[in-house]
Amino acid sequence: MIEVVNLTKTFKKVNAVDQVNFYIEPGEIVGLLGPNGAGKSTTIAMLSTLVPPTSGDVLLQQQSVLKNPASLRKVLGVVPQEIALYEELTARENLLFFGNLYKMQKDQLKNRVDTVLQQIGLQHESKKIVKHYSGGMKRRLNIGVAMLHEPDYLIMDEPTVGIDPQSRNHILETVKKLNTESNKAIIYTSHYMEEVEYLCNRIYIMDKGRIIASGTKDEIKAILSSENTILVKLEKHSNDFLSELMSQPLLSNINAKEAEISFTVAKGINYLPTLLTLCEMHHVTLKSYEVKEPTLEDIFLHLTGRALRN
Amino acid sequence: MFLALIQKQMKILLRSRSELLMLFVMPIILITILSFALGSLMEGNSEMTKVELAIVLHDNEEEQLNEFRKVASETFPINDEMEKQMKQMLPISMLLEQLTKSEEMKEFIHVTELKPNEFENARKSEEFSAIIEVPEHFTVNFLTSIFMEGDQPAFNVYVNESEPITSTVVKNILDFYQQQYTFFTALAKNGFLSDEMTVPTPEIKSEIQTVDTETKINSSIYYTFSMSVMFILFIAGTIAGQSFLEKNMHIFDRILLARIHPLTYLASMIVSTVVIAFIQVAILFAFAYFAFGISLNQWGLTILLTLLLAIVVGGITALLSSINYRSNSANASNIFSNALVSILALLGGSFFNISGLSPVLGKIGMWTPNGAALDGYLKLAQNGSLSDIQHNLMNLAVMAIVLIVCAVLLFPKRGGIA
Repeated sequence: MIEVVNLTKTFKKVNAVDQVNFYIEPGEIVGLLGPNGAGKSTTIAMLSTLVPPTSGDVLLQQQSVLKNPASLRKVLGVVPQEIALYEELTARENLLFFGNLYKMQKDQLKNRVDTVLQQIGLQHESKKIVKHYSGGMKRRLNIGVAMLHEPDYLIMDEPTVGIDPQSRNHILETVKKLNTESNKAIIYTSHYMEEVEYLCNRIYIMDKGRIIASGTKDEIKAILSSENTILVKLEKHSNDFLSELMSQPLLSNINAKEAEISFTVAKGINYLPTLLTLCEMHHVTLKSYEVKEPTLEDIFLHLTGRALRN
Repeated sequence: MFLALIQKQMKILLRSRSELLMLFVMPIILITILSFALGSLMEGNSEMTKVELAIVLHDNEEEQLNEFRKVASETFPINDEMEKQMKQMLPISMLLEQLTKSEEMKEFIHVTELKPNEFENARKSEEFSAIIEVPEHFTVNFLTSIFMEGDQPAFNVYVNESEPITSTVVKNILDFYQQQYTFFTALAKNGFLSDEMTVPTPEIKSEIQTVDTETKINSSIYYTFSMSVMFILFIAGTIAGQSFLEKNMHIFDRILLARIHPLTYLASMIVSTVVIAFIQVAILFAFAYFAFGISLNQWGLTILLTLLLAIVVGGITALLSSINYRSNSANASNIFSNALVSILALLGGSFFNISGLSPVLGKIGMWTPNGAALDGYLKLAQNGSLSDIQHNLMNLAVMAIVLIVCAVLLFPKRGGIA
């Protein structure tokens, strides 16, 4: 088990990471969810022993690894947010290079490279120079390098940023398979709540350097168990109508995206009649009215007052 | 693992067309252009022949000494010690002694005494590298300025401008003479001159040995070496720039996570640079052999000199990388490639022999990696031995140690975003 205890990092008197605690057990996928700038990457850099924390500790099997990081690095694979690859080399050459750094035997390395190329779906493109790859292929290779030495724990820092939906699905499936078939423990950081929701058993929500909520998906969603999220679609956007909604005391977390408006309302209140009255008053046509299950996005909005991707 | 780091560096360089052009094609083009364009300029006095020096004496020194005795005896008594000092300070004898005292000087300089009526013809004929004209009453005026009161007299020196090297040597000898002459004057005026004191021979022996050789240094040889030692410096900027990209793209983090010590990584950059530098020099020298027929005289010493130069360049790579990593920008390697290489090339004599312009700049140039190596290569091309280039080797070794130690101290021992 890897544990992070009261991890803090201060840059120029600002706490980028503030008293963060979490743990990951073998074989589970843990999500670290938060908007850009929440401190996820700094937390990952400290967890992987690349950046020393201002205070706090990182434990592997209850032993601190800050002074002697070799034991952790041996069992850890890190997929950085950036494409950390040599663009002038082929995929195979990149994998062989990093494999050599891990002092893998020649035959073992060759077999392992073939396996990894297959896992990430690049076996037919392995002799192509990386700079000619699409963004999605680079992301897949970025993951491949991290799993080359068969680590027990994989840390993935926003591995799907800036790629097409097809590559994104491929990566999500690969991550899922790594967990289910190879029993890898994975820390998955993202600001895409649907990815975290799809992949992770347990979730930590981070904002402004702090963990603001944690637990299993159900435990986290229970935070909003007393409220319903309502999604309404109008024929066209109306500022007057939106202002009217914002002045309603029963509604909270109002979020408008053109003609779509979401808000939360206490469970047990049927808000539809009131909404229809307001529509009539402002000459607005209501196209749909949907009571949604709370999402992580809703939870984040509820906890911080801001949307995840703002 | 270490080999993998070096192989990776080689592959990246081999696949970077612009860098290949810069490091391997540009110097070949420049060597060719400069060899042809400046060839005739350098042929003029490339071979060091014996310096023909003429001295025109308008007076007899012995007669002048007698005249001074007469004048001086009216002011102060001339005892034995005074007599000895006067003889010791005879300026023409002093100069001739300097020019002809040592065997090496005799081999190198031939002095002809001319009568005053031969002076004009000698000047016009350009038969001599330099002519020293000693004006009338020179000795009397000289002794008066030392033992009594008066201004120091001066020689007239005529230098043959078409022989820059030989005339520079003559100027050096006369400068040295001037220094000694001033020194002895000061001693005599203050009563410290003793009869044990003698005028030393100018310390230009090694310079004379260097230029007094059989092999010509033509423009092709000069620019093969000067461009090679200049372009080798660009390797440092290139590798350090690539290394910063590794940090910027978090590849360095991946290397650290693979449990590679940062100093192992730094060492791999030094070794990669040394290997690339060696390959570059080998290609340029091979080109010079096939294009201009320039062959290396002393393989062993050439390899030793190249190795030390390559290690210094490796040290520069390491230092630039350390600064880039510390400052989190590629400014150090960019400034080095865009500005510092040109300054080093100028000081090191890659464009022209800077010591001819200023001896001080020449000395500074010997403390640049390219300057020390260029001077060494030129000495070897002129059949120099280990003792001739030991100063160059020493300078390069000192530079290599200093650069590498600074780089090791500066290089960050962690990765990440710190």
